[in-house]
Amino acid sequence: LRTSRTILVVEDGTEYTDAFGGLVPDGAESVELVRAADLEEARAVLSERGVGAVFLDVVFDRTPADRLAGDLAEQVRRFGGDRTRAERHLAENQGFYLLDVLAPLLEAERPVVIAYDFSAEPERLAALRAKHANLSGVADGTPISEVFGALTSGGTRDDPP
Amino acid sequence: VILAAALGALSISAALPGCSDDAAALAAEAEASISRAGPTPDAPALDRARRLYRRARVLAPSAAFSLRAADLACASGDEEECVDLLSEVAEVAGELLSPADRLLLARRAETRRAWREAISHYRALRASAPDAGVRSWAEGRLRRVEIEAEAQSIVAPAAAPPPPEARLALGEARRALGVGDLAKARERLAAARKLSPGYAEAALALAALETREGRAPEAIRAYREVLSTDPGRFEALVGLANLLWDEPDRSAKEEALAATDRAIESRPEATPLLKTSALRWAEWGDAPKALARLDAYRRRASVEERRMTEGLRETLARRVDAILSGEVRVEEPEPAALTTPAVDEWRVAQAYLRRGDPSSLAAALDHLREAERLDPTFAPAPELAGSIHEKRGDFSLAQAAYERALAADPARVATHERLAFLLARQPGREAEAEEAWRRAEQAGSSEAIFQLAESASRKGRRGEALALYGRYLAESPGGFHADEVSRSIQELQPRRGALLAGAIAAALLLVAVGIVAYRRSTGRTFEEWIRRFPARGRDARPIIGRLRHEVVKHGGLLLTDGARKLSGPDPEAARRTAALLRSRLFGDARTRGLVRESAEAFARLQSFAREDGLRLDLSGRDPLFSPIAAGSRALERLDGPLSRTANGDLDRIGRVVTKLEEAAALFRSASGAEMSRVIEAASSTLVRFTDLLDLLASVLVETGFDSPVDLEPLGLFAESEPRPARVRVFPRDWETIWRNLFGNAVEAARVGLDHDLRLGISVEIVRDPITGTPIARFVLADNLAAPLTAEMIRGRAADRGWGVVADLVRRHDGTVEVGPPPTPDYRKGIVLEVPAVEPEVPA
Repeated sequence: LRTSRTILVVEDGTEYTDAFGGLVPDGAESVELVRAADLEEARAVLSERGVGAVFLDVVFDRTPADRLAGDLAEQVRRFGGDRTRAERHLAENQGFYLLDVLAPLLEAERPVVIAYDFSAEPERLAALRAKHANLSGVADGTPISEVFGALTSGGTRDDPP
Repeated sequence: VILAAALGALSISAALPGCSDDAAALAAEAEASISRAGPTPDAPALDRARRLYRRARVLAPSAAFSLRAADLACASGDEEECVDLLSEVAEVAGELLSPADRLLLARRAETRRAWREAISHYRALRASAPDAGVRSWAEGRLRRVEIEAEAQSIVAPAAAPPPPEARLALGEARRALGVGDLAKARERLAAARKLSPGYAEAALALAALETREGRAPEAIRAYREVLSTDPGRFEALVGLANLLWDEPDRSAKEEALAATDRAIESRPEATPLLKTSALRWAEWGDAPKALARLDAYRRRASVEERRMTEGLRETLARRVDAILSGEVRVEEPEPAALTTPAVDEWRVAQAYLRRGDPSSLAAALDHLREAERLDPTFAPAPELAGSIHEKRGDFSLAQAAYERALAADPARVATHERLAFLLARQPGREAEAEEAWRRAEQAGSSEAIFQLAESASRKGRRGEALALYGRYLAESPGGFHADEVSRSIQELQPRRGALLAGAIAAALLLVAVGIVAYRRSTGRTFEEWIRRFPARGRDARPIIGRLRHEVVKHGGLLLTDGARKLSGPDPEAARRTAALLRSRLFGDARTRGLVRESAEAFARLQSFAREDGLRLDLSGRDPLFSPIAAGSRALERLDGPLSRTANGDLDRIGRVVTKLEEAAALFRSASGAEMSRVIEAASSTLVRFTDLLDLLASVLVETGFDSPVDLEPLGLFAESEPRPARVRVFPRDWETIWRNLFGNAVEAARVGLDHDLRLGISVEIVRDPITGTPIARFVLADNLAAPLTAEMIRGRAADRGWGVVADLVRRHDGTVEVGPPPTPDYRKGIVLEVPAVEPEVPA
């Protein structure tokens, strides 16, 4: 924690970046926060530099549909031609689509925290860990300092084993 | 008289507005024929002229032609036809009749002991005769026939209102009928009828039950029972007529014709019934009567409807013409006898009403006022007064009269219906009309169910419309609108089959009944609501998802650390933290903020619950939501203090920190996972193989497929300890999907003559490769040779229930395709993938 480390925060707003920067009691000063607003920006960051950890927001409802990760055409087909539902699905699950694309670009030991509570879905987390072994979620009620700790050391409280 | 008439004939013909050229030409030819015959036309000339007028009347019915034809009939010595024609004129244009005409009409009515009719004509004669001697003579006859009429009148007591227990039993029977529990319906009806013998509404429901079970003789008997106590009951008349018309013997058909005509008389606005009557009379062989009814129908019909009946009218007109040309007379069937259990004043009023002229209507109202004065509880009197006011265009008086009738007998279905019809025909009163229909529906009106279904359909409330249409068919299978309702159900649920439509309508009805009952209670928790209305899971799930993310999660993330940072020693850090918290809690240019997100989520949930007729008490009683509500309340008042702190005023920072910590503790105690669990528990379905087996068995019974069908468990179902799957589809939709899947297989087997139908169902749980969510993958395998592709499911086979399956599956974020069978023992597999629910984490 005391060594300089880069955390890539992928979110459509700045809530998490601001919270990491403004609310974590100590230690944040030694960490560089890099924000990416979508998949392309995140890819660009990863292509330019190594990162120590990644934080993924899940819901990207402020991002234009054409900038969302995921195969929109396939989703439109899945939802019987309903483009609106397909776009909403991609926006509401965008964190998982980002994980799908970014996980292969990350070293296996790098912590990845996704803003989703898996406490009632341990098998789902286990399935997603097949993409990235050091993945963890954020249980409801977890303070931002604890999430920050997970990003800098790995694991958050309430993560199922 | 004849000469005078002959001289005026041409002017009569010329004064026939709207008369076709042919009719006018026929009349002119008749008059020319009479003129050529000289001042005393012989019998052949008169006969020829009469035939010409008959044909002219067929082509263009008019009072003037009838009056002229009556003159010729009288001149020929055919008093019967003469007075028949005068009677026609009296009904449509009484002012054209002379005192001599009135005298003829009165005398014949007297001969036939039609006292009310005789009275009416004598009164008209008394009023119109120029000679005082004639007036005095008419007065004497009038007194005489009035006495006769009074003596003839039999005052039947109005049926006593049924006791509450009988009404309760009838209500239960109707509900049972609505959901298809015919045995219970029969048992409850028997109870209602035992508690209140002669209960017309119970007999009507019994008739519907018997009709539905195909027991025509019993249904006919029940309808007759209704009519013995309520002779003008429209539904009974229509139902009886429909059943009798299907009977093979001619006397039954004859009675059906009479009942149809009585139904028309009971509800003149039922235009389509005129067409039914016309078709029946045509089939019966009485072209003139058929033509008269068809003409009446066409006068009220739309342009398109008129166009569609042009061929029929031409056929009937030709037949009538042939009858007239061939001197063929068709015997009129005797009208069915009416047993009217109404009081005398009401009967006299009815007689006046049949005359239809303004003075008769006024006289009828006098009698009805007297009837009401004599017996304020006799509802038929104000009801009839209402219909007369309505006929005269006095809508407010009509409404008041109907309301008096309902005050006298709130359970009187006919009055409820009349009031609703009255309101419906007045622009701008649609909402009142709908409310009136709802009251009529509660009183047991099948017509009201139909009208409410139509209204729901017009307003796009498809589910409600289907439920009501289903109820109508359940309660009134032989009803006036039965065909129309069947078509509407098909349109709303294309090609799902009557069985499925009925089942879904019944299921929707159950929901509707649940809603009504639920309206009575308020202040429910989220769990109580969602358990009661599991279909709401689909609406609530995204709201809960957002609430969990934007409020519960963000609250937890921000508040504890925010409070800690504010209470730290660095004033600048405190100032920056206050600014950050303020924007996150109360929003900025890009976000709504936690407090508003919370309020909006609550409001949306409460709005959905209100639609279901209950009030959600999320802030008070609800254990899941009340911590969030309390936390949000704690935060609500921090906007100002945080703003001041952000601007460097740190005086009240202690209070801000306390409130933040309080809110943080509350948000930590909220469980988003538990909210989601509640939704899944209520709106998902546990799928066991044995349940699917039972469902298949019921489909086989319902479809009458008499060959045995094997259903083999495969996949998780075939394990040594078979594992069920829980799917995110609520039970009603799930059952509908499988009913269709099984129904399609059975139908395909029947069509393909594959009587050794074998089916297998496998299930496995797979994961969405991106999100990791569980998906239940079912495969329904069959040995059918009939080809089926995914394109057929979405396209040309959609009519075989596939449209329903595809639609429901898609609605629940699933897919349906055709794929390979799970084992080589089958030919193909229907692959159904729907979201599944995670197994619960052991406590």
